[in-house]
Amino acid sequence: MKALPIQIQREFWEHRGLWIVPLAIAGVLLLAVAVFGHIQFDFSNAATHYDGPVPPPLVEMVVLGWSVPFFLAAAIQATAYLVDCLYGERRDRSILFWRSMPVTDTRSVLVKLLVGLALVPLGAAVIAALTSLLGSALLVLRNHDVLINGRGVVALWNTLSWLRMQAIIFYGLVAAMLWYAPFAAYLMLVSVWARRSPYVWASVPPVLLIILEHMIFGTNYLGRLFAGGFNELLHLAFRLDEHGDFAAGTMANTPVGSDVENLRFSMQMLSPLNLLASVRLWCGLLAAGALLALTIRLRRYRDDS
Amino acid sequence: MATIIEASNLSKRYGSFLALDQVSFSLQPGRIVGLIGRNGAGKTTVLKAILGLTPYQGSVQVLGMEPANHRNALMSQVCFIADTAVLPRWLTVAHAIDYVAGVHPRFDRKRAEQVLATTSIRRGSRVGELSKGMITQLHLALILAIDARLLVLDEPTLGLDLVYRRQFYDALLNDYFDNERTILLTTHQVEEVENLLTDVLFIDRGRVVLDAAIDDLAGRFQQLTVAPGNIEAARALTPFHVRELFGRTIMLFENQPAESLAGLGELRTPTIADLFVAKMQVAAP
Repeated sequence: MKALPIQIQREFWEHRGLWIVPLAIAGVLLLAVAVFGHIQFDFSNAATHYDGPVPPPLVEMVVLGWSVPFFLAAAIQATAYLVDCLYGERRDRSILFWRSMPVTDTRSVLVKLLVGLALVPLGAAVIAALTSLLGSALLVLRNHDVLINGRGVVALWNTLSWLRMQAIIFYGLVAAMLWYAPFAAYLMLVSVWARRSPYVWASVPPVLLIILEHMIFGTNYLGRLFAGGFNELLHLAFRLDEHGDFAAGTMANTPVGSDVENLRFSMQMLSPLNLLASVRLWCGLLAAGALLALTIRLRRYRDDS
Repeated sequence: MATIIEASNLSKRYGSFLALDQVSFSLQPGRIVGLIGRNGAGKTTVLKAILGLTPYQGSVQVLGMEPANHRNALMSQVCFIADTAVLPRWLTVAHAIDYVAGVHPRFDRKRAEQVLATTSIRRGSRVGELSKGMITQLHLALILAIDARLLVLDEPTLGLDLVYRRQFYDALLNDYFDNERTILLTTHQVEEVENLLTDVLFIDRGRVVLDAAIDDLAGRFQQLTVAPGNIEAARALTPFHVRELFGRTIMLFENQPAESLAGLGELRTPTIADLFVAKMQVAAP
């Protein structure tokens, strides 16, 4: 295990975009807040006053808003990384150097999976969290003179909300890692197998399968399977109704007197047992295991150096 | 001390092409063995089998281990340089040292720094910015700092200029080799390594055609530049190779006592290059 940190670092040396891009996004966002972050809104207008019993989940929405560009970039980067990670070392023949070191193929493959599936999204989450903190602080500084409901903007901040939102994001990430593990393993298999154009190999077979299914059976089961994956994950991992909104009614133990707004970004929203009870999740994990075993085997025995 | 490599009936087939055909040999510690053959003779395939990089038929034991199943344990005691330029272009010199220091239990960072200090390679440079010669120097610095029992080199100086080639082999002899370490190197540039080797292993079309210690060559092989008039007499002693050069006939004999040849012309021990060319021509159909 002593070698693990350096093996992880090695991946980030090679794929520098993995850490440069999220930092660049953070820089751009913070710069934008610093320059354009002064609220040009007339809060003296009565319509903007909120008099309800429950304040809107402002902090949560800000945190979620900050995170979106980071997670979009991380998804694209992780996909590109996983497609390239075992192909690149064969393309430049450096695999002969890596394999001359006392590191097993199993370990090499698993470290790359760890980076692509877990560390890239987690890194994005950490940088997004820090950015949301810094960005919120910047917003408060830039708008110290703005009053909302007669109070300074700093009063809108709620550390507990921020922490809770981080926990929800972390839970969502772990759920997504488990859910997308077979996809990651598939990309790695393509990466270790393709002689050239791994991106084409990664994308063409699924598309072909969908077309073939449509032509032969006239159905679109695979297409729905691939495209509906994210939606299904959301509905399994979170208590959502058919509109994608928080589904309070489905909760057996909705606390008496609580209201839906209050629970929208609460821990009540998470349904880990529901996710873990999903047959599709476990089938996916089994498939991921099989694909990974094949990937390790190919890296070990493939001899086209 | 135990045998370093023991290969018996090693065969390897790529489709219909038989790359190795029942190759058997053994390597003792403290030797520098040249695996010499023409391009495509099977040299690299032998090395790949030894390093556990390719499946094969037959049996190979390296340091008492079967390479394909014990690659990890083996790689902590075996080093190899495949050929120049397999260090990835994006890697910096400092990172290369950090990485090997991190994953290799027998790596001595100080030693690597010392070796690098004798070169003009800067720590911050990327491999892609270095010349081919410098990349080899870097790779060698990393390898020399590993306390390995077996060093495997596959055409290590391919494409390098004479100065780098000479420096490479000098460093190997001065900084790496001792009586407990073993070097197995492949090359087709026989002259380069002639004075370096303790043993030669000639390979041709997947078969071993000569396996001998350099010290034994003098007793086993004779090169006779035949005096005019003695040609028939010399032929009667069954040379295994005959060639004409500037009107003179040069014959190579194996296991023929020097006394029986002495009167027939000018006698000397053939160079490895002479032997190699002769053996390859004899083996050719």
